Amino acid sequence: MAERSGKYRSQGIFLAAALLVASSLQALAQVPPPVSAKLRERIEVCKTCHGADGNSQMEKIPSLAGQPEYFLLNQLVLMREGVRPVKEMAEFVKDLTDEDIQSLSAYFSKLVPILTGPKPDPALVAKGKPVAEKLLCVSCHGKKLEGVEQIPRLSGQRIDYMIAAMRAYRMDKRPGADTTMSAAIASASDGDLVALAHYAASR
Amino acid sequence: MSAIVRTLSLGFAAAVAATAFGLSPSIAQGPPGMSRMDKTNAGASGQARTLRPHRTPPIAPKPDKIPLDKIKLPAGFKAEIYSHGHAGGRTMVRAPGGTIFMGSRAIGRVYAIVDKGGKREVKIIAKGLTHPNGIEFRNGSLYVFSIHRVYRYDIIEKNLDKPGKPVELTKAYNLPPEIHHNWKYVAFGPDGKMYVQVGANCNICEINNGIRGHIRRYNADGTGMEIVARGIRNTVGFDWHPETKELWFTDNGRDWAGNEGPEDELNRVAKNNEGAFYGFPYCHANGIADQNVKIPNACAGVTMPAALLGPHAAALGIKFYTGAMFPAAYRNVAFIARHGSWNRENKYGYDVVVARPQADGSAKIEPFLQGLLDNDGNKFYGRPSYVMQMPDGALLVSDETNGATYRISYSGAK
Repeated sequence: MAERSGKYRSQGIFLAAALLVASSLQALAQVPPPVSAKLRERIEVCKTCHGADGNSQMEKIPSLAGQPEYFLLNQLVLMREGVRPVKEMAEFVKDLTDEDIQSLSAYFSKLVPILTGPKPDPALVAKGKPVAEKLLCVSCHGKKLEGVEQIPRLSGQRIDYMIAAMRAYRMDKRPGADTTMSAAIASASDGDLVALAHYAASR
Repeated sequence: MSAIVRTLSLGFAAAVAATAFGLSPSIAQGPPGMSRMDKTNAGASGQARTLRPHRTPPIAPKPDKIPLDKIKLPAGFKAEIYSHGHAGGRTMVRAPGGTIFMGSRAIGRVYAIVDKGGKREVKIIAKGLTHPNGIEFRNGSLYVFSIHRVYRYDIIEKNLDKPGKPVELTKAYNLPPEIHHNWKYVAFGPDGKMYVQVGANCNICEINNGIRGHIRRYNADGTGMEIVARGIRNTVGFDWHPETKELWFTDNGRDWAGNEGPEDELNRVAKNNEGAFYGFPYCHANGIADQNVKIPNACAGVTMPAALLGPHAAALGIKFYTGAMFPAAYRNVAFIARHGSWNRENKYGYDVVVARPQADGSAKIEPFLQGLLDNDGNKFYGRPSYVMQMPDGALLVSDETNGATYRISYSGAK
């Protein structure tokens, strides 16, 4: 018996080592692409609010790390054009060229998402699960809510940000996005939205 | 290319005034958002949980990425790129001076495409609007419908680089402010009235037909509103038969009721049937009772479609052809752009079809522009959105995802 568990243990150590190698390889692959000096400066500005590693430490400011590249690109264009006016962002996006936006989106999409801000409350996570299943969140946001193309990552996103965003969607106050999101949560209660945010962040 | 880019950035500067105007606070018109009576039961549809709306690139691809080589047409027809660089461009209307105005959805822009000695320049004449899909032109003025906001740009063709502040007609038109299914389609009818789409603010729900789910018409100034056809989920394209002057409109079928339907509809409003009911939400396609909103005799009194346009096909623009360039067999037939499905496991549409009106009031559907859908790979290369006849009889087709228009001409035997 002892022998067997010892064998398993050494297998376990080997596995852990292999995983370590794999994850550091993955980390290497995640190194953001090189950007111009002008954009490097801009990225530093982005990071003052959205976090040094792209994971926001500020209340209700979204994390950008690991968001789908296409989602970031789309939102930056919509903010620049005034379709989705965000007061805090207006000054930073108004002069961006299409190429700047492409580079910024590629950069932030390659950073590793880590949940910041309020921690998911297990009771709310449990409450949010069936709501998320009923509303078919995975249909658009991906199996692990990791985000797909123009649709954002929810997994690891700040809970306080997601609650505010969903309230805005429900009130048609989040222009620019496909109206599918407003449709999905039109009849969700405020309690549902809070539970959904805790559930989604915890994925 | 650089000339186009320069014109685009000039357009940005010029559009600032219009933008500020477009962002003025909305007037209060009832509760915002979607219907809370939506009865969608996606889980019971049996459809894959991975279906989601497709993205629309907000940055137009370069001309060498536009899938012109994929397009297939009947013998004697040819496709070429007419214009490009108008990301998300959909609806088209041509002004007498030759400017083609183009509406869009999420990207919020109105474009002007100007022919400069055989090369097309693209200008942005308004931006920051909410789904400005409804555009129409008359007497020197461009009408832009951005959900419930209505703007009229006077003497616009002479002022493309400085459109100035438009006349706002929002209050007069008094349209519902909900965004969903309310990206407008509008057109002046043969009676000189402005016809306006108002969609259902849900996938499937009860609606008040006096407020939405219909086509209505107005005097150009927004007075004299009356409802022309009711029970419509979401029409985003209509036109009038050149001889009978009857209104024909496409209507998009509901989602999450299976991969095979209910099919989109091509409907006709017969002269003696104005104000008729077309079935939403109770009765779909050619007589399918809804599975979520149930009433007895769901299809009683419902005007049936002239033709079915395919499951989840997203039939958008429709135009009857009256030109002399195409063979006589195309005279007075309708070209219909099918944007292509999202709520279907095997993709469908992404093409332009022909609808041939029959003596009994129905229509026969035939393929026309194909090749943008790869059936084997279940992927698409482009999304035809609207069609427009040019003065020389060529047909322009807008492709929303490629930010381009294709000019379809005919040079074969007649």
